[in-house]
Amino acid sequence: MIVEQAPVLIVVICLMSAVATPLVGWLKRELCYPWVILALLGSTLCSVVVLNTVMHEGVIHYRLGGWLPPWGIEYVIDHLNAMMLVLITGSALLVAIYSKRSLEAELPDRTIFFYTLYLLQVTGFLGIVITGDVFNLYVFLEIASLAGYALIATGEDGAPLAAFRYLILGTVGACFYLLGVGYLYMVTGSLNLAELAEILPRLYGSKVILVAFAFFMVGIALKMALFPLHLWLPDAYTKAPSVAGALIAPLMTKVAVYIMLRVMFTLFRPYFSIELLPVTKILLYAGIIAIFMGAIMALAQKNFKRMLCYIVIAEVGYMVGGVGVANTVAIRGAILHVMNDVVMTLGLFAVAGIIAYKMKNNELTAFDAIFKKMPFTMAAFLVVALSVIGVPPTCGFFSKWYLIQGSIMAGNWIFVGALLFSSLVNVILFFRIIETGYYDFGASGAGGAHSHDERSVVSEAPLSMLIPTFVVAAAILLIGLYNQSIITTIIDFAVPKL
Amino acid sequence: MKTLSLIVSIIVGAFLMYGTIDMPAWGDPNSPASTHVSPYYITHTEIDTATPNIVTSVLADYRGYDTLGETTVIFTAGMACILLLRRRGGRNEARG
Amino acid sequence: MDFIIAKYNYWIYITLMMIGFYAMIAKNNLIKKIIGMNIFQTAIILFFVSISYKRGGATLPILTDADAHGGHVIDVAQYLNPLPHVLMLTAIVVSIATLGVALAIAIMMYRKYHTLEEDEILKAIK
Repeated sequence: MIVEQAPVLIVVICLMSAVATPLVGWLKRELCYPWVILALLGSTLCSVVVLNTVMHEGVIHYRLGGWLPPWGIEYVIDHLNAMMLVLITGSALLVAIYSKRSLEAELPDRTIFFYTLYLLQVTGFLGIVITGDVFNLYVFLEIASLAGYALIATGEDGAPLAAFRYLILGTVGACFYLLGVGYLYMVTGSLNLAELAEILPRLYGSKVILVAFAFFMVGIALKMALFPLHLWLPDAYTKAPSVAGALIAPLMTKVAVYIMLRVMFTLFRPYFSIELLPVTKILLYAGIIAIFMGAIMALAQKNFKRMLCYIVIAEVGYMVGGVGVANTVAIRGAILHVMNDVVMTLGLFAVAGIIAYKMKNNELTAFDAIFKKMPFTMAAFLVVALSVIGVPPTCGFFSKWYLIQGSIMAGNWIFVGALLFSSLVNVILFFRIIETGYYDFGASGAGGAHSHDERSVVSEAPLSMLIPTFVVAAAILLIGLYNQSIITTIIDFAVPKL
Repeated sequence: MKTLSLIVSIIVGAFLMYGTIDMPAWGDPNSPASTHVSPYYITHTEIDTATPNIVTSVLADYRGYDTLGETTVIFTAGMACILLLRRRGGRNEARG
Repeated sequence: MDFIIAKYNYWIYITLMMIGFYAMIAKNNLIKKIIGMNIFQTAIILFFVSISYKRGGATLPILTDADAHGGHVIDVAQYLNPLPHVLMLTAIVVSIATLGVALAIAIMMYRKYHTLEEDEILKAIK
């Protein structure tokens, strides 16, 4: 029975726990933390069961309320969905375990409602990824977005303004998506993803469909922070509290990439997206510019979290450019990069949170002589940094390898150049930090006795923050070592037939 | 900044109006939206749900999951307002 | 000119949408941006609801007594399309929720900086 109902349990467990969290917190505030971990553990187990079922039995159709589509709403879970579900629940669980100390230091009196919104945001992401109905996707997109705006606005100085700007731009994106749904509904009469995919090919010459597709793409690009619509991202993720940044940064943009893959390849056939309209060319150029711009801006930053935000923008450029190259190998690399980027960004923001918690300082100078003080954290950071640069056997190398291979096959040398340039810039960025951390520069000794006392006080990060970081580093190595079997069992089924 | 926004708004508006060329005429009873999924709701609402109000039966029965999502949106907004606006009074903190 | 006369309602909604969109991105005052957002979302809702209209005397999608209890086949062209109304009930609720969160963030900023102009807040943060 559990296996049959597992798809709906994923969303329902998370949602009902979110509703119950204020009650649990009212009884006893300290119970919130174990309650959140329990709820996310339940959702993670259900999503692993669903992944297992999809790998053995194929696509799952779950009809909510028993109504047949298109009159009711249904869940359609194939390999791409199942992979995203496991990634979302796994990351949320790891960040929840990590969150206790960081939240006590940054927002001591708001933990109950912070955890409520945390679970609601995870519910929103899960609902987006699992559904097979275009309007339902809009509703859950708004749940995730509203929870995100509120979580970001609780941060440090200047966070409310960053959250307000994110709100305005995010609402424009979601309303453009809704307009696209409206235009599609007007000429087809249906809201079900699978049925629309069958009705639409007759209508590909219609101007209404063209406008609908354009609005889908622009709305998703706003949510995805694709150049030039990325202006909300650096401020929002830098000023957010560390836990909110560690939850939202790995997941929001990748869920938007998932929506783009669904719209381009499941809703509209690949023939429409690649040959009929030059959409993939536009995506390719946008991806290339995003990579260059993200790399160059990241070099100029003094604040560690802001540098990470520009790295995220460049990573979105990899994924979108990979889809833009539009051959099987490159799209395989792009989907593998979605998986890798969730794990890598989670690792980077987790380390940033640990540094902020221990050093109370977000600048790059916080890394002074840090290898002696926090050797374990820095070991995990080293693994994540090598993955972002793209060194085997970490997972980042393999997704870059497929992207480069695909674009060489398509003759796209500019994209290859952009990928290599970005790897070089990442080397400079991370080795700068490692150099600052390894050697004991005189600047930190200029304070004399005062800084010597400070240095002897700072110690290793607490265990509840360290273990999730280690799990992420281990996952990076495991995904890299097992990437062949992951690709043949999951990703190759998710790549559309071109 | 304002002229750039004005130009962007006019371009987006013109693009939307370009899309209206192929739309079915307003109020056409044979348009795809009126003949594909909704006739089932109108003819079967009494049989499936015994509710003469068709909007209610679609909202609460056929597409009840959307309504669950909608109530969750309201709940999220309420929690967000509490998280953001509650003053550090001390009255609630004493309860622990 | 024929298609303008046949579809003038869509053009009115698109104009409303663009007025709201311009206010959202160009204005400096936070409350004006929020009002622009509301206008934009309301225009989208009007656009959707206008899809459900049927000419020729169609009435509200509530079954009359004769249709509800009789055993005969119901004439579909007599009732408006209920599905856009349902979708827009949800969209109205979502728009109110977004309005609420936006106003909460604006109140937070007012409490701290005592102004609602975006450029003054930017100066105060730096």
